[in-house]
Amino acid sequence: MSEFTLLALAFIIYLLVTLLGFLAYLGGKKRLQKTSYFLSLSGLVLHSASILYRTIQSGQAPFTSMYESVNFLAWSCVLAVIIFERFFRLEKAGPYLWLIIVALMALASSPALPKEVSPLVPALQSYWLWLHVSITLIGEAFLAVAFVASLLYLSSREKGSDDRQAQIRKEKLDLLAYRAVAIGFPLFTLGALVFGMIWANQAWGRYWGWDPKEVWSLITWLFYALYLHTRLVMGWKGKKSALIAVLGFLSALFTFFGVNYLLSGLHSYV
Amino acid sequence: MRSTFGFLSSLRLTIFLLIAIIILAIIGTLIPQGQDIDFYRHQFPHLSSLIISLKLNHLYRSPLFLSLVFLFLLNLLFCTLKNLPLRFRRLKNSVDFTSEDRSLTGDRHLAVRLAEKLEKTPEKLRTELKKRRYQVKIIQKADQKLLLARKGLVGLFGTELVHLGLLVIILGGLASALFSERITLALSEGQSEEIMGKNFRLRLDKFITEFYPDGSVKDWKSLVSIIENDQVQLQKAIEVNHPLRYRGLGFYQTSYGYDWGRCRLSLELKFSEQDRKRVELSPGERLLLDQNLTIVVSSFIPDFQIDQLGQAFSRSAEPRNPAALVEVNQGGQQIFFGWIFYHYPEQSSFHRKTPLILEIRLLSFTAPQFSVLEASSDPGTNLVWIGSFLLLLGLMGSFYLPYRELKIIIRQPNPPLTIFYARKNRQSFLEEIERIIL
Repeated sequence: MSEFTLLALAFIIYLLVTLLGFLAYLGGKKRLQKTSYFLSLSGLVLHSASILYRTIQSGQAPFTSMYESVNFLAWSCVLAVIIFERFFRLEKAGPYLWLIIVALMALASSPALPKEVSPLVPALQSYWLWLHVSITLIGEAFLAVAFVASLLYLSSREKGSDDRQAQIRKEKLDLLAYRAVAIGFPLFTLGALVFGMIWANQAWGRYWGWDPKEVWSLITWLFYALYLHTRLVMGWKGKKSALIAVLGFLSALFTFFGVNYLLSGLHSYV
Repeated sequence: MRSTFGFLSSLRLTIFLLIAIIILAIIGTLIPQGQDIDFYRHQFPHLSSLIISLKLNHLYRSPLFLSLVFLFLLNLLFCTLKNLPLRFRRLKNSVDFTSEDRSLTGDRHLAVRLAEKLEKTPEKLRTELKKRRYQVKIIQKADQKLLLARKGLVGLFGTELVHLGLLVIILGGLASALFSERITLALSEGQSEEIMGKNFRLRLDKFITEFYPDGSVKDWKSLVSIIENDQVQLQKAIEVNHPLRYRGLGFYQTSYGYDWGRCRLSLELKFSEQDRKRVELSPGERLLLDQNLTIVVSSFIPDFQIDQLGQAFSRSAEPRNPAALVEVNQGGQQIFFGWIFYHYPEQSSFHRKTPLILEIRLLSFTAPQFSVLEASSDPGTNLVWIGSFLLLLGLMGSFYLPYRELKIIIRQPNPPLTIFYARKNRQSFLEEIERIIL
C-alpha cells in the first residue's frame, strides 16, 4: 500500500470518528464513544504508517513542505485528542476537534499543496529541523484542544446561576482548556522558541533576529503567558481567559500559515 | 516605597505589559522594519510622522519598546523577590505541627470531610502515597503524629524558575545588543583575511557548490584554514548549519558571489559565414586579432539593466542577464562598439555605432566564486542558553511535576487535621487526595 492509500484510509476513518462523535454526543450513547475511540486509534496507526512510509522513501523529515507540515499537524492533533480522550475525557469538545482534524486533512490533500518531495535547501539540512518542527507542531496540537474547549466555553449559552448542570459543564470546559495549555505551552516553548533559537544560532550565527516568523511565535507565546496569568486574577478567569486562549491559537495559526503568505522573512521555505 | 514595590511586583502590571508588548510586537510585523524614511512617507503618508517620531521603523530598538521590556524586567525581578521567600518558607514550614491554616487549595469543606472520614493508619497511607511517588515522612511528637507527604519540589519553584529564566534571557539579549560583533568576510579561493582583534587569519582554500540532480543547490562548502603565526592550526569545511567555532568566534556560511572583475569571456566573431574567430579574454584586456584588428571588452555586467539616465548597471550579482561591452578597432578606426547579450544574441545591436556585417556572440563566461562568511562573537548567547534552561526546567516542573503537599496531623482525642496544598492543577490533586484517603 502506498503512502496516499494509507492516508486516504486514515482520512475515511477520521470522517467516521467525527460522525460517530457527533452521534454519541447528540444521542448521549456511551457505547459509541468506546467504538470511536478504538476506531481513532486504528486511524492513527494508518496515518503514522503513511507518514513513516514517506519519511523512509524521501529520507528526510516529514515536514518540509506545506503539505507535509499540515499533514503532520493533523497527525499531532489526532495524537493530542487520543491522549486527552484517554486520560481526561473530551466530552463535547471531542467531535469538534475531529472536525478540525478532518479539515486539516482535507487542506493537506487539496491540490493547491504540491505533494512531491523536493530536495532540502542547505538551510534546512539539520537535525534541528526534526526537533524544532515536530515538537512545535505537537505543542500546537494541544493548544488546538484548548482552542476548541475555549470556543465551546464562549459559545455555551449564559444561563442563570441556578442551572448547576450547565455551570459544571462550563467549568469542565475551562479546566479542559487549562490542562491542554498546561501540556502544550511547555512543548511550544521548547520546540518553537528554544530549539528555534538554538537552530537559528547554528545556521545564521544569531539566536534572534526579529524575523516576522520569530516575532509571531513570540506573540503566540505571550498570549499563552497572558492566559496563564489572567487565570490567577479572579475577575478574568473564565470568559476573558477563554478569549485569550482563542486569540493565542489564532496567533499560532497565523505564525504557521499567515507569515509565509503575507509577510516576508527568512522562514519562507515552508 | 512600599507601594512602588507593590506596583512593580503586581500581577496587574504583568497583564498590562504582556498586552502592551503583544500589541507593539504585532505592529512591528505590520510596518516593514529598517527602511528609508522616504519609504514610510510614500507607503504610509498619514502615519509616517508618527512612525518616525516613535521610531516604529526600528520598533524592537525603539525607546517605547525597550522601556516596556525594562518594566517587564523589573516586574519579573520584583515578583520573584516577593515570592521566593514564600516558597522557602513553605519548604521549611511543612514540618511544622501548628500550621493550622495552610489549606491553600481553598476547599476547607473537603479538608474537614476528609479528616472526618479518615480511617487509614498513617503507615497504610504512607505506602499508598509512596506508590504515587510522594516523599513521605512521619514525625512523632508527644501525643501528636504528623504525616507529611510531598512531591514535585522543582514544581514548587517552577514559577520562580520560569521568571528567573526570562530575566536571564532578557539580560542575555541586552548583552547581545551591546557587545555582539559581526564581521562579513568575502574571500575568493586562496585569499585570507586577518581577523580584527584576534591573533589569527582565516584563509579560504576552496569553495564548492554542490547541486541536486534537478539543478537546485544542495550545499555550499567553504574549506578554510586558520592560520596563526604562519602556521596552519586548523582546517575545516564550513557549511550552512555547520559553523566553525574558534577562539570565541563563530564563522558561518552566509552567502556567496562571483568575482566579476576577474571573469573570463569567450567570444565568437563572425566576419562572414566562412570567416569565424573565437577569442578568450578578460574585461580590460586588449587582444590583437591580426595585424590591424584589435578587440577589447571594456565592461562586463552580470545582470544587465538600464537606469533612468540611460546608464547600464548590474541589478544583482547573479548572472541573470550577462552582457559585455565590446569594442573592435581596425587600423585605428572603430568598426564595432556595442553590448553583446548572452541570452539575446540577436539583440546585440544595442549601442552599435558602425553598421557592419560583423557579428559577435558571447559564448560563455566564467568568474571565480567567492564565499561570504560571517564571523560573530556574541557574549549574550550563553546567558540566553542558561536562561532557556531555567525557563524550561521551571515550565516542566510547574506543569508536568507540580508541587503537591499533604499533611495529616493526628492528635487524640481531637479528629485529625488534614492540610493540603498544590501549586498547579489543584482539581486533579484534590481528586487524587480523595482517592488516597477514602
